[in-house]
Amino acid sequence: MLDKVMIALKSIGKNKNRNFLTMLGIIIGIASVICILAIGDGFTHVATKGMQDHNTKNKVTLEFTASSDEDTKSGFTRDDLAVLEGIKGVDHVKLTSSNPEASVTVQHQTKKTSATLNKVPKRVKLYRGFGTILNSDDTGNIFISKDLADRAFKGKALNKRLVINDNVYVVSGIYKIGDFEYRPDIYVSKTTFKQLFAGQISQDEARLSVQPSANKKAVGKSAVNEMKKFGEDSKLGKYSISHPDQISKSFTKTLNNITYFVAFVAGISLLIAGIGVMNVMYITVSERRKEIGIRRAFGATAGDIRNQFLIESIVLCVIGGLIGIALGYGVVQIINSFLPFKAVVTTYAIIMSLSVSTIVGLVFGFIPANKAAKSPLVGLLKEE
Amino acid sequence: MLKVTDIGKTYGKFIALENINLEVSDGEFLAIMGPSGSGKSTLINILGLLDQKYTGEYLLKDKSYKDANDNYLSRIRGDQLGFVFQNFKLLTTYSVYENIEVPLIYSKQKQANKRELIEDVINKVGLEGKEKNTPSELSGGQQQRVAIARAIVNRPNLIIADEPTGALDSKTSTEIMDIFTNLNKAGTTIIMVTHDREVADYAMRTVYIRDGHLYNDEKSVKK
Repeated sequence: MLDKVMIALKSIGKNKNRNFLTMLGIIIGIASVICILAIGDGFTHVATKGMQDHNTKNKVTLEFTASSDEDTKSGFTRDDLAVLEGIKGVDHVKLTSSNPEASVTVQHQTKKTSATLNKVPKRVKLYRGFGTILNSDDTGNIFISKDLADRAFKGKALNKRLVINDNVYVVSGIYKIGDFEYRPDIYVSKTTFKQLFAGQISQDEARLSVQPSANKKAVGKSAVNEMKKFGEDSKLGKYSISHPDQISKSFTKTLNNITYFVAFVAGISLLIAGIGVMNVMYITVSERRKEIGIRRAFGATAGDIRNQFLIESIVLCVIGGLIGIALGYGVVQIINSFLPFKAVVTTYAIIMSLSVSTIVGLVFGFIPANKAAKSPLVGLLKEE
Repeated sequence: MLKVTDIGKTYGKFIALENINLEVSDGEFLAIMGPSGSGKSTLINILGLLDQKYTGEYLLKDKSYKDANDNYLSRIRGDQLGFVFQNFKLLTTYSVYENIEVPLIYSKQKQANKRELIEDVINKVGLEGKEKNTPSELSGGQQQRVAIARAIVNRPNLIIADEPTGALDSKTSTEIMDIFTNLNKAGTTIIMVTHDREVADYAMRTVYIRDGHLYNDEKSVKK
């Protein structure tokens, strides 16, 4: 086998330019396949990983959807928590909020406006004011957004007093909200948030940790039923199980469809490349009629000749495929510096590309190789 | 070695060969003479199992291959026959060594044995030191030596040579004919087509062919 590959390499090397141009189609086709698969695989990996964070094993999330859009207070109560924890198969329950901000009314002098409020993150980059931190015990100071400052104070807000839900605070910093950024209008210290605002935020999610032995689905179902019967806010909205699983599945499916489409386009380019290979193999076969005749006279069977040209066609395509993989890998490294996630060239993609090039060589080399094998011997030996 | 009975061959209405009867014994050196278009090449294509479309009977080593399949014929050609052509028919991009190797690729020879066989025939035809050269770097005589080496590397029973000196000057022709004579002395049967009387004189026996008919002596041809 190795000697046959060597023969193939030798005759490919004899017409380097012609064969390189033929390979170009394969190279571009395979490089695109590698890029598409790398982007698709990278994206799927990131997307499904993100989804899985919300949906770890043995967890069921119950959602409460209020009937009224303005209702931000109803959800799961402490009593509901007790009911849920009493369900068979439930290990423990944690109540959370899908929107952990409080909606508040703020007042400066006589002007009232509504705003969103949250506890301060570790650091806030201030636009006006000093420092970046609100300490836990700093209960009298707040940071507000430039937007709120403009609305409530017409700009000059620093060190002024602001009334939030009947308590008075001093604005000790103003921050800007970027174009693609989401931040609440007001940051208060952690202590203040816990004491005065946390209770206002509706607990509209209940995360049930299910015992490993219990059936996740059944537990989820009975939890919904229990809440319908005993939930304190059951008249104000509906309970349901949230399905991050389904989201990720349909998302992956869409992504796959896109991948298939682009792969289809790459397939067409490979088809055209294949026709190029077929053309060059036809030329090779007719140029080498003398060689075929000699080999046949000295014992080569029709099958030997067919294999020789098939191997040549496959070797040609596989070389193209290997160059294509290298090129695709290079392009992936370049596009990785522009992509928000990391495109990865998987072993699967490499194996797939090599198989595709082999198949292109096999399919498009077959007819010319067969022509070579079936040429009548006497005619071949008259060739010079 | 071989026996031909009533062989005929036509191309459409043109009769290329008619009623050919010929017997060649083991170890014989036969020359077939005739002008171009007389049917010489057609006859040796049949004798060399390159052409199976003929009427009559051809037995090689008492065996008919008329209905043999292509694969079997290829094997017989590779194992029992060796061809030498007028224009050498060497693979121009291959080295001397690789050209001689061709018949061994398709035979069942063990790899280890290959080098030995090739070196042996290179010595026999006097091409020592030229193994790595390509045909274009060799003279006509040297190229024909390569072709002879390739024809004998599989140790065939029968060598079929079609105008082996046709492209060579007389001095080189003599050298090539000496090689054939030596091979024949060593026991190889040779059938050679030529239109050169001096070359034919190296053979033990000469037959003549004209307009598709075979004659055993020149007088009958002229009749």
